[in-house]
Amino acid sequence: MRYRLRHTTRYHYSAPVTLCHSEARVLPRQTEHQRCGPSQLIISPSPQVQMERCDLFGNRVLYFAIENVHRHLDVTVVTTLDTEALAPLPAASPPWEQVRDALEHTSTVELLLYRHDSPFIRRQAALARLARRCFTPNRPIVEAALALNRWIFDNFEYVPNATTLATPLDDVLAHRRGVCQDFAHLFIGTLRSIGLVARYVSGYLETRPPPGQARLVGADASHAWLALWIPEWGWLALDPTNGIVAGAQHPVLGWGRDYADITPLKGVMNGGGKHRLEVEVDVMPIAEEASAREATSATDQRRG
Amino acid sequence: MTVFAPPLASPTTLDALVDGYRAHLGGRLNGVGANGIENSGVEKNNALASDALLNADGQLRPGWQPLLQTLSELGAKGRRQQQEETQRLLAENGVIFNMHDDTQQRSWRIDPLPWVIEEADWQRLAMGLNQRSRLFTAIYQDVFGDQKLFAAGLLPTQALLGDIEHYLPCHGALPNNCPPFIFHAIDVIRDTHGQWRVIGDRLQAPSGIGFALENRILMARAQPQMYRNAPLRRLASFFDVHHRSLNALAYQHRDQPNVVLLSPGPSSPRYFEHAYLANYFNFTLVEGSDLVVRDAQVWLRTLGGLQPVEVVLRQCEDVDCDPLELRGDSALGVPGLLQSMRAGGVALSNALGVGILESAALSPALPALCEHLLGETLLLESADASTQPETAPVFDEAMTSLTPTTLNLRCFVTRTPDTVAKDGHLNGDYQVMPGGLAWVGAPGSPSLGTRVVKDVWVSAPSVQPHVSQLRQARGPVVATRDGTDLPSRVAENLFWLGRYGERLDTRTRLLREALLRLMEFDQDDIADQLLNELLVALEIVPSGDDGALAVGFQDKRDRLLAQFAPQEAQSLPALFTHLLHNARNVRDHLGDDSWRVLNQLRQHIDQFDPPQDASAARRACEGLSAQLAAFFGLCNETMPHHFGWRFMDIGRFLDRVLGLLSLLKHTLEAPRSSTLALWEVVLATTDNYTAYRRRYRSELHPAAILDLLLFDEANPRSVGYMLKRLENQIEQLPGAPSPNRTPYRNAERRLLIQANAALHLADIERLGQLAEEESARQALKALLEALLTPLMALSDALSQSHFSHVERPRQLISLEADE
Repeated sequence: MRYRLRHTTRYHYSAPVTLCHSEARVLPRQTEHQRCGPSQLIISPSPQVQMERCDLFGNRVLYFAIENVHRHLDVTVVTTLDTEALAPLPAASPPWEQVRDALEHTSTVELLLYRHDSPFIRRQAALARLARRCFTPNRPIVEAALALNRWIFDNFEYVPNATTLATPLDDVLAHRRGVCQDFAHLFIGTLRSIGLVARYVSGYLETRPPPGQARLVGADASHAWLALWIPEWGWLALDPTNGIVAGAQHPVLGWGRDYADITPLKGVMNGGGKHRLEVEVDVMPIAEEASAREATSATDQRRG
Repeated sequence: MTVFAPPLASPTTLDALVDGYRAHLGGRLNGVGANGIENSGVEKNNALASDALLNADGQLRPGWQPLLQTLSELGAKGRRQQQEETQRLLAENGVIFNMHDDTQQRSWRIDPLPWVIEEADWQRLAMGLNQRSRLFTAIYQDVFGDQKLFAAGLLPTQALLGDIEHYLPCHGALPNNCPPFIFHAIDVIRDTHGQWRVIGDRLQAPSGIGFALENRILMARAQPQMYRNAPLRRLASFFDVHHRSLNALAYQHRDQPNVVLLSPGPSSPRYFEHAYLANYFNFTLVEGSDLVVRDAQVWLRTLGGLQPVEVVLRQCEDVDCDPLELRGDSALGVPGLLQSMRAGGVALSNALGVGILESAALSPALPALCEHLLGETLLLESADASTQPETAPVFDEAMTSLTPTTLNLRCFVTRTPDTVAKDGHLNGDYQVMPGGLAWVGAPGSPSLGTRVVKDVWVSAPSVQPHVSQLRQARGPVVATRDGTDLPSRVAENLFWLGRYGERLDTRTRLLREALLRLMEFDQDDIADQLLNELLVALEIVPSGDDGALAVGFQDKRDRLLAQFAPQEAQSLPALFTHLLHNARNVRDHLGDDSWRVLNQLRQHIDQFDPPQDASAARRACEGLSAQLAAFFGLCNETMPHHFGWRFMDIGRFLDRVLGLLSLLKHTLEAPRSSTLALWEVVLATTDNYTAYRRRYRSELHPAAILDLLLFDEANPRSVGYMLKRLENQIEQLPGAPSPNRTPYRNAERRLLIQANAALHLADIERLGQLAEEESARQALKALLEALLTPLMALSDALSQSHFSHVERPRQLISLEADE
């Protein structure tokens, strides 16, 4: 699939900001299944300093500083990218316990990073119990993961604004509701609690207008899912919010241990008073025919 | 060449001292020694084989004999006198530098007997420490670079990743041509086999070097005869190398880089050292809010604007250094600091991320890492559970005998200056300070909690040349003393120091008058009425609340005495707390003598506790005013009359003039019956009674009083004088345009012109009819308002012009939940 992504983050401040330092993770990265064209980046007002680097996870990080007095901040990124589906799922996969035991002895930093606790995700017994609903003894890891993905989709209610960033995983688990970020965190927590390796993926999801209506600009949203490490195969991307495997319709921004590692925009500023935030996301398929074909086969009610 | 020749002592004294110690070692039971210091880990049967002072045969080891001879010759009494002298100097230093906890004495004493380490043994230790610093440098470069060690299975991955939270942003953040650290503190002990073993490492904010330096300086001062010609290695050259290394870190202005010492501030228990070191190296002592990152450079906020900072000697933990990328809720750091380090805009000592090297989990991996990275065998093993420390002698508290104890030693390593190498290759080496901080305690016990510390003597083959504590200047002298380099925060603290000092003084004087009237209670109607007026003036009782004033003696007394308890917001101890807080923040701008007075003042106020009766309270007031006057007097005598002093002076006179005007206003509002007596109080609280009597030799006459208190510009307590002084000071502040060149006046000067005009246009003859004519009363009221309004706005105007850019940065808390 070819998409044009447009992601705008806009802050309005009630008082002038005299200086702000920001760190943005809004530039999509190349992946095995995704090729990115050059990103067009517009920051308003223009920053005095702007530098790009890669973090330990390989995400593109943009540092910028606005040193003149300003009352709003607008960061817009437009990127054209091509995505492709994951490789076909392995027909057979090892029992999950075997994967867990092998991971006990790994010294690969990349895997270990995603096995430990992280700012938003703490391993705990309640999560391990949840995992064992599907991760039954000797069950192949891929089969178990797909089952749990479906189970979360079936048993958790998608309720926008029911949670905030500060809502602990325990609450999500207790009330069985939340948004994509909560489900991704929860799923990762269950997997890590039984000794597996899973990472948080931040990206987008194309939403389709109801039949006969035009697409609304800015109506899409950023999305989050997760990826589970399958030895000798790779990262299995799972979208528990929709109960599906994340594939070509899930353009990737970046990944980390959880949301904290891939926060779109962080900043420290002087002044500013209260602020109001607007986010606009467009996920525009470029090849319309291709997407039309795809649409007939895709799940009808996509949510993020 | 001078040969160290110890004075001849009668052998019996020395022998007695050593015999006593030998007896302790030989005949002692396990457990607690005679001095109450725990002798943990001392093997009962093998004691003589593992002692710092005596060898296996019970004979003195080399190097100790001259020291013991000097000390034994002094006798217990002499040693006690010396100990008292050292303790006095120690307490004095605590007063001078330790603003945080100067209510307490230092927990420790300095033992008169230093720890002697023989040259050869020291060399062994120093080589091991040097290797450890080189090894840690290589580990840092890998962990924050291409991470080959993890894949090679050489690092305790699990343990390090459990702690990775705050190190992620540091990955790849250090430019290639910059060393990860130039200062490394390593805690060691010597075990029963005479081997040095490592307890732990400190790299983020290593403390202790200030104490080590202090111990040496104080001991040399207390026992000059022992130190002057001793064959021991001196410390000064180490500090010199360290200083040059810090300068060499700078990317620009390497001859005279601006180096600042970033401290968490007076609330840190290590603030003593920060102030001590900043003073020794002549670095600007700053806190996070004094610095700002702009254009990926670090700048110091000063009165004269932003000044570039080349090197930050940071004494904050890694996670606290940058709220943008590290711990977001830390108020100690500087937003953008890590990015500035990454971009090569500023050099940090030590670099961010070194905290990961402090992990105890590294210890077991070090031998293999050393082989792998350096191709060398690890020289210093880590201590483990089976490590037994050797014993070492320490004097008991009575200074009568030596008892065995166990010691910890913190060693300090500095990197030698790296010369510029274009290929990114670093050529610096590491150098170990020949000495350290030794403290009594079980291995690994914290240094700050110890009861006894020791100076550490590293023997030298001959007497070493004495190097002055004042370092030799290199390069040209750069005069930066015009005062515009004063940090804005310091200016603000000095301003409030002045204001609180004056407020404390005004209130003390009013309280004194009120207490005098209280003591005459019920004997005199006028006194009773005056007391009520003073209670209102002190805002103890709200104005116009007759019911509140109808209470009896007991109640009024209690209310006045409550002004001596810290709980009341405007009480004397509460005001003093504000004063002290501001003073501590500007400690390095106040002279030592001023600080001593302030310390006496603190002790004086601590004794209030609150006073039991009115006369005790009145006496307490007497001392307070005098000490405050002494403090500000010393400040005037010793502080350079630059911007810092000016801000303090403005604070003082602004508060003083506001206090006087409020009092005058209150006098006018009081019932006529007590007016005359109140004028007397006004004269007394402003300490003008004598002046008035001498000049006017008359009964109290309102016109004369007004002349003295409002218009007489020669009277330092008059409004006229104070306005003139404020005007003079404010004209000298940075950013004020020269009055001759432009008609423009900034806000603070406009306000002063307004106040001055009101005063100059007043008709004193008419105001003098105060007692007779209501219109005169109204005119004076209007005049006081016309003075109070602009002067009350002056404080804000000054803040706007000079302090307002010191504000805490805030997080842009992103509550953007993905939908």
